[in-house]
Amino acid sequence: MTLPDYHFLSAPLWLVTVLHLLTLTLHFFAMNILVGGAAITLWASARNRWDGTQAVDFSRLFPAATAATVTLGVAPLLFLQLVYPGQVYAAAIVSGWFWLLVIAAVIVAYYAFYRASFSGQRTGRANLVMLTLAMAGLVYVSLVYSSVFSMAEQPALIRSLYAKDQSGWVWNPAIGSYALRWLHMLLGALTVGGFFVGMTGKDNPKVLATGKAAFAGGMGLAAAAGFAYLLVLMPYLEAIMRSLAIWSLAASILLSLAALHFYFRKSYWIAGVALFLSVFGMVYLRHTVRILRLKETFEPTAWRIAPQWSPFLLFLVCFVVMLAVLVWMFWLFFGAKNQAGRAE
Amino acid sequence: MHYPFWDQPIGYGVLMAAIAVFHVFVSHFAIGGGLYLVVNEHFARQAGDAERLGFLEKLSKFFALVTLVAGALTGVAIWFVIGLLAPAATEALIHNYVWGWATEWTFFVVEIAAAMLYFYGWKKMTARAHLTMGWIYFVAAWLSLVIINGILTFMLTPGRWLATGNFWDGFFNPTYWPSLVLRTGVCVMLAGLYALLVASRLDPGGFKAKTVRQAAIWSLAGLAVTVLSQVWYWKAIPADLTAKALQAMPTPIRSIEISFWLAGVIALGMLVLAASAPRKLGTAVALGFMALGLAWFGAFEWSRESLRKPYIITGYIYGNGAEVAEAANYQRDGYLAQIPYRTGHDGADLFRHACRNCHTLEGYKALKPAFAGTDRAFIAAIIQGAQHLKGNMPPFMGTAAEAELIADHLYQRIDKRPLADIYKLDGTALGRKVYDIRCGKCHVFGTDSDKTKSLAGQSAEDLNGLLDMAASMGEGMPAFTADAAERKALVTYLQTLGKGGRP
Repeated sequence: MTLPDYHFLSAPLWLVTVLHLLTLTLHFFAMNILVGGAAITLWASARNRWDGTQAVDFSRLFPAATAATVTLGVAPLLFLQLVYPGQVYAAAIVSGWFWLLVIAAVIVAYYAFYRASFSGQRTGRANLVMLTLAMAGLVYVSLVYSSVFSMAEQPALIRSLYAKDQSGWVWNPAIGSYALRWLHMLLGALTVGGFFVGMTGKDNPKVLATGKAAFAGGMGLAAAAGFAYLLVLMPYLEAIMRSLAIWSLAASILLSLAALHFYFRKSYWIAGVALFLSVFGMVYLRHTVRILRLKETFEPTAWRIAPQWSPFLLFLVCFVVMLAVLVWMFWLFFGAKNQAGRAE
Repeated sequence: MHYPFWDQPIGYGVLMAAIAVFHVFVSHFAIGGGLYLVVNEHFARQAGDAERLGFLEKLSKFFALVTLVAGALTGVAIWFVIGLLAPAATEALIHNYVWGWATEWTFFVVEIAAAMLYFYGWKKMTARAHLTMGWIYFVAAWLSLVIINGILTFMLTPGRWLATGNFWDGFFNPTYWPSLVLRTGVCVMLAGLYALLVASRLDPGGFKAKTVRQAAIWSLAGLAVTVLSQVWYWKAIPADLTAKALQAMPTPIRSIEISFWLAGVIALGMLVLAASAPRKLGTAVALGFMALGLAWFGAFEWSRESLRKPYIITGYIYGNGAEVAEAANYQRDGYLAQIPYRTGHDGADLFRHACRNCHTLEGYKALKPAFAGTDRAFIAAIIQGAQHLKGNMPPFMGTAAEAELIADHLYQRIDKRPLADIYKLDGTALGRKVYDIRCGKCHVFGTDSDKTKSLAGQSAEDLNGLLDMAASMGEGMPAFTADAAERKALVTYLQTLGKGGRP
């Protein structure tokens, strides 16, 4: 009996790539709101920048933002593993313990956010210790992700690191190749977090001012870190300039500026859409960089394509139903929000 | 073979089990708990029972904290850890079932959103809207089980997929339906156990008694479905797998027995609680029942995992990541040619990829004590005849030279003193130890490979003759290479078998 060969993609590569990029953008957006929002709230609370219970109100949003980040992170990781298993698993194995401890860090951050949210309800003050603990967990996750995913783009580095140490306690030593990328991601989070904080607290002048400062300042710093990271990518720069990614980058910059413009004109929804599309453009650039860095050892188009259309159709139907149910649920929740007491 | 090997000291099985059992315990509660909440809320609202609604709100907070954080993240942890421990099998699963997982993700998103909105919605939503949210949660959570159950059961019983490679053939495999019913029963049982825990925190009184009784009845109902479907599940497993397990694999059989005993104890406890409806119930007792539930689940999952041995996907990928389809390549070119991530120590690399998925040197399924006091030739022979050991080892498909390399790697690390010195034994006791180390790896008492009857009554001369020709007996029997003192002790011990069988 000839056994089935699992080395195939069950949908055309372009379709998997589109799904990966789309879900990764959603994940990044939620993650940016969480990380940036929490960092700004922590800073504002520690420095007593806001009046009243604004910090507590924000703290109460972070458990939901964590849930959204984790949930939306599942799909892009799935599609990434589908196309790049050899790279992702190998890098994760070399840093096995650090990789697995990501879960522990997220659990700690998650419970700390809940704790901050519950204790804030009681005391009326943001719980700085819990927010700090949660931020520490998230920063750990960001460092591990940058280290591992950067390593995944350098097969030769994986081989040499593994040859020396197989314990799973190996940190990617090529810090120069991902430090700026990590910084760019973190500053990007601050940018989107600033957008979120300002938009959510737009009725409070101090909160709005903080949001604006973080949004504009974060964007400037993220851009600086991003351009510096492009210099690190010098060997690939020419190829990037000749690819669609350069147009995607240009569009992202313009969209970011547009977002800033509309944000300051208080057109938040337009600003939000522009910001989301800007993140999508950055994600596409990131995807292109991965392909270029792996070019000599791996070509995604080499995968055998053996579509599984009926399971895909099931997914598609469920995806559409999911969107509809989510809209319905939020309508049920927020539509009924002011009807307190009717539930009794 | 195609990936680096994570050489961590904890046994792979232990690490996997620790994460997986905890996750399934929480995730099944996440489904059953949703049903428990919404059904009870429905009746409480109908009856205008404010006290019960208060209890359910409290339960939903506990529920949200446990399921949204620990449940969801340990699920991600399983995904992380299988990629580290069994990357080839994970890759195979993802390539075959990516749309299954993607579909499950859509339910997961709805489930998480609904759980949060349900929890935050007690005071903010109308009764009808809140109940609707509860039902959406439960349906989404159960549908995620419907999907993941197909992938889980595929690993034990891939069925016609091995011939067709068709998504649905593997998904709706022979154990799909019994497993789905079984796990649904488990969900209900665990919901009762968790409710019992929350109820134990209530003030003593009539309401507590009523709640405890109700939780016990939930657990009993779930347990009844679980136990009946466990029998169905067993019967749905292909006969060759169950027959092999009954003949030569004590671990899964013992695990199944333990699971039935535990189910019996839980049932008894729940019957007592349902009948007596105690107005007082300590948290320690409720935690005790939770522990029993966890132990039950651990035993069941352990049996499922053990039954699959020596495979990680039955008939497709062995537990050590060697692919059945690649057997000819391994035999022709050896394992080393298939291992791209090398350390410069061939014996160590081979040991990791061929053995370390299941064995450690000193911890879980330790090999140092298993080979203590033996020699290179014996170890190499055992490696080459691995598939004959207890019926649950993958075959060694590398070359003879590679087996020697692994043997040498192990030999450098074991205690090389004679067994008499290592264990301070002599006479029959030493003979028993020699038997355990040199014979008992295959000839397990009480299984089909038990040779007690054929050895009974043989003379020392006959037994020595058998030992002399051990290597020529086929089926991977190693030559008897122990020294004269150990041989003598073994023969003495074997002669005791004739006087009443096993010592």
